[in-house]
Amino acid sequence: MHRADRSLTLGAPIGLSRYRQQAAFVILWVHAFERAMRGTGIAIVCLMVLISTTARRATPAQFPDADLERTFTQTVRPFVTTYCAGCHGGTAPAAQFDLKAYSSLSAVVRDYPRWNLVLEKLTAGQMPPKGMKQPPAEAKQAVMDWVQAVRTNEAHKNAGDPGPVLARRLSNAEYDYTIRDLTGVDLHPAREFPVDPANTAGFDNSGESLAMTPALLKKYLQAARDVADHMVLTADGFDFARYPMLVETDREKFAIQRIVGFYEHQPADFADYFQAAWRFKYREALGEPAATLASAAAEAKVSPKYLPLVWQLIEEPPEAAQREVGPIAKLQAMWRALPPPPADSAALHDQCAAMRDFVVRIRKDTGMQYSAPIVAGLPAGSQPLLNWKLRQFAAHRRESDPKALRNDTDPPLVTPPIPKYPGLHREAAYRWAALIDKSRAEDPDLVVPHAERDRYQASFARFASVFPDAFYIKERGRYFPDDSEDKGRLLSAGYHNTMGYFRDDTPLMELILDEKGCDELNRLWQEFDYEADYTARTWVQYFFNQSGEVRGKGAESGSPRPVDREITDNSVIMEMRDLYLAKAAADPNNDPVAPEAIRDHFQRVNDTIGAVERLRREAEPHHLDALCRFAARAWRRPLTPPEHDDLLAFYRSLREKGGLSHEDAMRDSLVRVLMSPKFSYRVDLVEAADAAQPTLRRVAAVAAPVTGVPLTSYALASRLSYFLWSSMPDDELSSLASSGDLQKPEVLVAQARRMLKDDRARALAVEFGGNWLDFRRFEEINTVDRERFPAFTNELREAMFEEPVRFLLDVMRSDRSVLDLLYGNYTFVNPVLARYYGMPVPSGPADRWVRVDDAGQYGRGGLLPMAVFLTENAPGLRTSPVKRGYWVVKRVLGEAIPPPPPTVPELPADEAKMDLPLRQLLEKHRSNQVCASCHARFDSFGLAFEGYGPVGERRTQDLAGHPVETEAVFPSGAQGNGFAGVKAYIREHRQADFLDNLSRKLLAYSLERSLLLSDDPLVERMDRLLAANGNRFSMLVETIVSSPQFRNKRSPAAPEPSPVLRGDRKGGG
Amino acid sequence: MRNRTKSSAEGVTRRTVLRGAGVTMALPWLGSLSAFAESAAPVLPKRFAVLFMGNGVNEDHWGSGGSGAEMKLSKTLEPLEPIKHKINVIHGLFQKRATGHGIHPAQTGCLLSGSEIQRGAIIHAGVTVDQMIANRIGQDSPQSSIVLACEQPMTGFHETNYSMAYSSHISWQTPDSPVPNEVYPSLAWDNLFENRGSLRNMSILDRVIDDANALTRRISSEDKIKLDEYLASVREVEKRIDPNRKSKEAAADLAKQRNRPVFSMDRPANGLPEDLREHARLMCDIIAIAFQTDKTRVASLLLARDLSAMYYPFLEVREGHHAASHNNLSDGYERISRFHLSQLAYLATKLDSMPEGNGTVLDNCCLMWLSNMWIGRKHDNTRLPLVLAGGLGGALETGRTLDYVNAGDDNRKLCSLFLSIMDRMDVKLDRFGDADSRLARM
Repeated sequence: MHRADRSLTLGAPIGLSRYRQQAAFVILWVHAFERAMRGTGIAIVCLMVLISTTARRATPAQFPDADLERTFTQTVRPFVTTYCAGCHGGTAPAAQFDLKAYSSLSAVVRDYPRWNLVLEKLTAGQMPPKGMKQPPAEAKQAVMDWVQAVRTNEAHKNAGDPGPVLARRLSNAEYDYTIRDLTGVDLHPAREFPVDPANTAGFDNSGESLAMTPALLKKYLQAARDVADHMVLTADGFDFARYPMLVETDREKFAIQRIVGFYEHQPADFADYFQAAWRFKYREALGEPAATLASAAAEAKVSPKYLPLVWQLIEEPPEAAQREVGPIAKLQAMWRALPPPPADSAALHDQCAAMRDFVVRIRKDTGMQYSAPIVAGLPAGSQPLLNWKLRQFAAHRRESDPKALRNDTDPPLVTPPIPKYPGLHREAAYRWAALIDKSRAEDPDLVVPHAERDRYQASFARFASVFPDAFYIKERGRYFPDDSEDKGRLLSAGYHNTMGYFRDDTPLMELILDEKGCDELNRLWQEFDYEADYTARTWVQYFFNQSGEVRGKGAESGSPRPVDREITDNSVIMEMRDLYLAKAAADPNNDPVAPEAIRDHFQRVNDTIGAVERLRREAEPHHLDALCRFAARAWRRPLTPPEHDDLLAFYRSLREKGGLSHEDAMRDSLVRVLMSPKFSYRVDLVEAADAAQPTLRRVAAVAAPVTGVPLTSYALASRLSYFLWSSMPDDELSSLASSGDLQKPEVLVAQARRMLKDDRARALAVEFGGNWLDFRRFEEINTVDRERFPAFTNELREAMFEEPVRFLLDVMRSDRSVLDLLYGNYTFVNPVLARYYGMPVPSGPADRWVRVDDAGQYGRGGLLPMAVFLTENAPGLRTSPVKRGYWVVKRVLGEAIPPPPPTVPELPADEAKMDLPLRQLLEKHRSNQVCASCHARFDSFGLAFEGYGPVGERRTQDLAGHPVETEAVFPSGAQGNGFAGVKAYIREHRQADFLDNLSRKLLAYSLERSLLLSDDPLVERMDRLLAANGNRFSMLVETIVSSPQFRNKRSPAAPEPSPVLRGDRKGGG
Repeated sequence: MRNRTKSSAEGVTRRTVLRGAGVTMALPWLGSLSAFAESAAPVLPKRFAVLFMGNGVNEDHWGSGGSGAEMKLSKTLEPLEPIKHKINVIHGLFQKRATGHGIHPAQTGCLLSGSEIQRGAIIHAGVTVDQMIANRIGQDSPQSSIVLACEQPMTGFHETNYSMAYSSHISWQTPDSPVPNEVYPSLAWDNLFENRGSLRNMSILDRVIDDANALTRRISSEDKIKLDEYLASVREVEKRIDPNRKSKEAAADLAKQRNRPVFSMDRPANGLPEDLREHARLMCDIIAIAFQTDKTRVASLLLARDLSAMYYPFLEVREGHHAASHNNLSDGYERISRFHLSQLAYLATKLDSMPEGNGTVLDNCCLMWLSNMWIGRKHDNTRLPLVLAGGLGGALETGRTLDYVNAGDDNRKLCSLFLSIMDRMDVKLDRFGDADSRLARM
């Protein structure tokens, strides 16, 4: 046993905790057994087999069972009888541990964890106790060797046993991550679920610990409903929004935000184009002689469609340029005045911005102006009339208003008085026209030579055709185009009270967007109408609230409830149109364009409503297809034909028998998919083989190898993704599962590498790291007295939590040595944490994280001195060397320490009120031999961290003003000082413990079960490969995913399990 | 096992009935289904409902004086005369945050929450008192609340640049999103008794059991144990839902015996009840049945929204509601106000006719009727018309006029009243909206 020497120095009793844990496990199985009793008879039989540990197979091993049996009879039993059974035997055995009861090797194997305890006690010299008859050293050694040999034998006999990986529900974290990846929205539906219990290895991702209760099921139901409420139907499927999509305003908000987001992502700043053109012009001087307009556009992230148009306008051959007049001549002069390389970039930027500002001013002052047609008796805000105005603006954004120009021979303009905003329902265009007139009057560039007016006018027109007065309109108040008031109504048509939207983005489509962009924008608008049904709803609101205007009842009156008919019906719309047309015809002074405006409006309403209705009917089959695709993703494998049919049948029954609307039926179908155990449970189906490997199952059944049978490719994909992402497989992984390629070890490993680089790998840092190092719930802690430690804000707490996550993630992603976790002289901070640590504060928001090298000078670096651990392991108003030391020894080094006895003296809660430093109080505690046996193993680690206060702050005095001492004598007798001393001690004496512990923890996490004796060889292999490969993190992951434990499941004819080990390190370690 | 084919056959029947039945409406009165009629239990559930009408009342005809048998009610409040010993007329309360931000939406958006609301494209208000109560006590009944309206919402922008959503919804479950209004009585009914809510969950869970059973055949026996745990949980939840199905079936049976369809109104999109009188009455009936059968304990009913476009030909008012409110001293507007107040009287009387424990269902309710304004022509909301009905199981003294007109702004907060009501429903909060004290003299 290559680590036997260590076990001598480190040996200590860990048996009690193991005993308890074993007992807990047995209880779990008894519960399972009871449940099975209520279930089927088959379950009972199988369970009996499972519980039984009778050796069934003779497997070649280093220590044949017969040898071990013989040694047991000849050596071990007599030893036990002589030295142990006096106490551990008879009717009342000490510690309820009857060593005489073991009559055969198989009995020992069955109860191996307790024999591991025997080994530990013997190794530590604690048994037989002082004062009792002591065995000769060789006899003791022989027994110890035998117990080790049993373990090795068992481990190798069943090496690679996939073990009992129970069906299990998704953990809360997995539920949340999976919903995030399934819907594309991070909804955290599991926030209301009770906290998941952890298994014996400390992880909350195993069937051993994850139970289901009716109360939880109700929460599942609520969560599934919640998710379904976020669903929004689109023309070709469905999507999920960040808000529930139940109320009209929610749907509008969803669709509007998508469109406005699209607009805002388009390159629509003229200055960027001028700058890109400049780069192209000077491409040779800038060392890019091969640059093209397209490449310049790509580099500047501007439209490759629009840049050439701008280029042609500003960069002309000298003879052509000389002929230019008006705004083009002026802009070209500004263009030519741009400094050549090497230009000061700020100056260049400013000059391009000045060109942009010039363009914007000219275009504002020369934009075409429109007002709503006047019809006596109708308010200007009347929808048919107002829409006409909006449509004129939208249609003429690339034209220059000839009326904007003045001849140099004209007398100076007298600027008109600006009228006030008119009342509701009145046309505000006159006020706007006055504002524009004023602006024009003050713009000298609009004055043109009388004789050359036509030439100038042509220049303005060409200028306007390249530079629209707006690419798109994203908000309108009710005084449009005067938007100085009532901002923030996105895409609004500016109607009073009734909803209404208006699309005005032709220049964007014509000039900037490529074909794909145009299609996308058209689709978004179509879906806006599809999702929010805005045309129809605007019509309905208008009908009931404003259509009274045409009957002379006033602009805020509508129609009473209609009887027996749909008001979106063509006849109702056309009837209303005719009322308006009659109104327009009634007065000869009415604007002659009014009838056209009215016809146009009602026709559009009618056509759009019809089109959306059609779209809606046509979309239903798409929705059902999308539902089936969704189910396949949710269930993490293709649907079987019966599943497919069943899902559609369910939908149909909701429609036909349940009387639900299409949308409600879709929502319920989603709930049904999410409530299925196929979603919420990870179950490895018994069909061992893929379609691609039809013979495997038969082979497996015959051979029943101890290493089990391969998981199906889909189950393997899930296992990999839940290991590395705590979430469902993505498309790439699923398609490799579908082709069966995932079964190839090299593909599996390549996927693991890819996935570790993915953002979703953060889940591994949080869920594995957080549970391993016990900081997962740090953000809920409230032990810190915020009055005494005002620096401890929510932001700091968040940053403290994030530090180890960033650190672990960096080690995983960059594939660093896992020893960096201990010795790395660097860490990661955001501004909040940097300030707290006294490091240079990075500029930027709280989510800006930077790596800090040479962190040692600030007393940080690696995991151990992170504030999160120091804070979590302090009880509030003082530090706790005990808890901190225990954390290092247990969590980091993997040493098992029994829980303290029930009667331990309390230490004072508040350091500030202590007469003696904590160190001296603890010394007193350790002078008690019973306490010392454990505390000697960890107190020193905590004492070395006394240089950090209760919230992880560096300090030289404790809260009572006593100077802190950080000297420590470690278990081996080595001395050290502070965090550096801890590091040095671990490096010299305990590094292998750390690595072995990390391997075991990661393996237990990945396999979603407690470890077995039979996992020992794999752990050894991990340790070995890690050491041989620079301790790179990826070696651990790759070794795990290549192992039979990970890739296989137990064959249906399951082998007997080897005893559970709960992830503990090997005997005495 | 339940017989699924039976219930689906029933569904077909119902649809057939519904298609053929035209416009006559009938609600079964479920005396035999009353949840607590025979209850000897000393603790009966307490219910809360809010009835809202927008744009204020005719202040000349709104008033009350005295208490008990001596209580005098003005013309608009007259419909409450027969049950005046079971009401409280409260004068002078107001919602401070609903003042000073312009008219209409801003006067309504925070009426029941006392929160600040946001202008512009992003809607943000606060959790309203009814939903707060529903959040706390709603899990004890099949539906945590029902939110009904007699008028469709508007979603445009008012000239104050507040979304019309604030005018259209009085119940907000989260600050970001109002509770959808149910305007169709038929769907509201379905919500309570038929397809929606728990019973919809039931059909989902049926399928989930099928899934789990199918899965069990394909997994190992130890996995089966874990899955059995799931199945057992599903069955347990179904068992808790099952009484709802039974009550629905009983309702259908009852109706059949009387040779009447369960609920014979066309489902949308065929439109709302043509006559507002019928619409409002049906909504009140649904609340009454829901309370009686303990389907829910919280209800809100928007009778006419702020900026309402309702017409009242049957009251001989030519203008729409909002336009009429600008002339709120007119007889017509008084008739409109009285019409809406009579809905409270109708609902209270109905509940009072339902025995429960030693009293009636009304005795265990608190119905609150209010408007967002006092004087429509001035958009004045410095005080609000408000009436409570029901005694909350003896926790709330009734038959009183409570006048806070001159109590000072800090002592006449609507949110203080909400705190007082919530106290009596065992929803104890330190503060709500802008109030951290209870209303004096309650």
